[in-house]
Amino acid sequence: MSPPATTADEVDLLIGRMKTAAAPVREILREIHARYADNDEGKVADYIPELAKADRRRFGITIATVDGQVIDVGDCSQLFTIQSISKPFVYGLALEDHGLEHVLSKVGVEPTGEAFNSIVLDEKSNRPFNPMVNAGAIATADLVAGRDFPERVSRMLAMFGAYCGRPMYIDNSVFMSERLTGHRNRAIGHLMLNFGMVSDRIQDSLELYFQQCSVLVSCRDLAVMGATLAGGGVNPLTKQRAIQQPYVKYLLSVMHSCGMYDYAGEWAFRVGIPSKSGVGGGIVGVVPGQFGIGIYSPPLDAKGNSVRGILACQELSERFGLHAFESGYSGPVLRDLFSPTRST
Amino acid sequence: MPKIISTHSFRGGTGKSNTTANLAVLVARAGFRVGVIDTDIQSPGIHVLFRLTEQELRRSLNDYLWGKCAIEEAACDVTLRAIGNVEEDADRPRLFIIPSSLKTGEIARILREGYDVARLNDGLQDLLKRLRLDYLFIDTHPGVNEETLLSIAVSDLLILIVRPDQQDFQGTAVAIELARKLDVPEMFVIINKVPSGIDSVALRSQVEAMYQAQVAAILPLSNEMVRNASSDIFTNRYPDHPLTDELVALARRIVAIDPAVTTIIPEQVTS
Repeated sequence: MSPPATTADEVDLLIGRMKTAAAPVREILREIHARYADNDEGKVADYIPELAKADRRRFGITIATVDGQVIDVGDCSQLFTIQSISKPFVYGLALEDHGLEHVLSKVGVEPTGEAFNSIVLDEKSNRPFNPMVNAGAIATADLVAGRDFPERVSRMLAMFGAYCGRPMYIDNSVFMSERLTGHRNRAIGHLMLNFGMVSDRIQDSLELYFQQCSVLVSCRDLAVMGATLAGGGVNPLTKQRAIQQPYVKYLLSVMHSCGMYDYAGEWAFRVGIPSKSGVGGGIVGVVPGQFGIGIYSPPLDAKGNSVRGILACQELSERFGLHAFESGYSGPVLRDLFSPTRST
Repeated sequence: MPKIISTHSFRGGTGKSNTTANLAVLVARAGFRVGVIDTDIQSPGIHVLFRLTEQELRRSLNDYLWGKCAIEEAACDVTLRAIGNVEEDADRPRLFIIPSSLKTGEIARILREGYDVARLNDGLQDLLKRLRLDYLFIDTHPGVNEETLLSIAVSDLLILIVRPDQQDFQGTAVAIELARKLDVPEMFVIINKVPSGIDSVALRSQVEAMYQAQVAAILPLSNEMVRNASSDIFTNRYPDHPLTDELVALARRIVAIDPAVTTIIPEQVTS
């Protein structure tokens, strides 16, 4: 209970919050949350001890609309590390720094069907296959501009801050253990250096990559990041632009074709929501022009995607026709459930 | 689909809880499953009308908002004492009361810490589903605060209760403006406690012109209601009183949408 609203803006804000609290979509999300909350399949990531500490019962679902309504159900403010979900967003930063053609000459956009940490490089074009596999993400981090390492890190954090509408922090213990145990990623970086795929500041770029994976977000943040992309690059809460509009479609395209590790093809086929998952247990999904979806649930399937997250997204997509290639759809429309509907 | 009906007044003392309780009893009498939830957390009162004792109030809305229980665990079945003459296991009519806590510490804690209003809505939806309610009446806190606005936002019908008093008139205009912003589909204004000798035709047109909303009833100031002093459900004690007639007419309008309902007959219940 906040003090009584005084200005017209505050009244509108209050009315908006009440409409959101009363929106029937809450019931839908509660129902979906309840259906999968007891699903205990999957394994919490444990390649570093910090990730293994996550509570496997945690489960949050948030939907944020392009006009700024945010519906939270479950553990939506619990912070966790963003991990691979950082990749499309840093790709966006690289696109803004260098333009499409230069970035394309450094990192391809072909799905690999390989695991995220596979060491495969496109030797014909001398680039990693796409920005969602680790090799491509490291080459993308290498493209983040800045005079020196601190400036590059702060630009990266400012970028995430614009998407989330708040200051961002790095989980230092996750960062330290990522960097201590990141031999495979270092190997990938140095292999790419050997092929001339990345610059000679690759040491810094690897540090930057370990930092970007250790950014702390909640599933509410993920939904707002998704809604920012859904709205053409403008954060729906702060109205601040996080990325130039022409680049949004490129982010969504790589999420669509490569966002869900080696499940990406079937995901694009079945669910059809451009999405990115991370081993921290998060998934961000984007329904262009409508909303962003954020999910947090740490247990992962064999491919590294959140088990409950996959099920919840799949149900949302099927029940409400959210597949990108759905046409002639005549079923229930999720967007209609964001303002109070009544029995009469 | 179940209907949610909120009753609201800008100030205390308008007879809001009494009207809500009586309407709920009359609507239940027509053969429905009805719930009454007291969201007036700061100054709860509706339990008094149903003579619920502190021993009977094991769980409250407060417990639900703190995550201590499911909302339906806070519901008390008051069918027998409020409607009488109903078989114990009959599905309809049924009347449930969901009280707010009477404990000073628990009231203070809610005021101090607040709560998530979305959780209140989750609770209302759970009540409709789990108690299989046909109607849910929400007795709100006087004035405008978050639970009031949330209640209005989810309501199918908002009943605004005013006395013939300039402060009530002005304050209610605020509530009506907010209700319109919240797109409430239907609004009834009830002018309550109208002393005898007032020109009710003029009063009605004055209020309707002021709010651009219809006055659904003008209820007389009644000595019996005052003497009743919230110790009982008025329409149960005085089934033949003119005020009861007016409340019955209102209850009929609330259920008018249901063609199966033809009459609501109040009867004396001694609790």
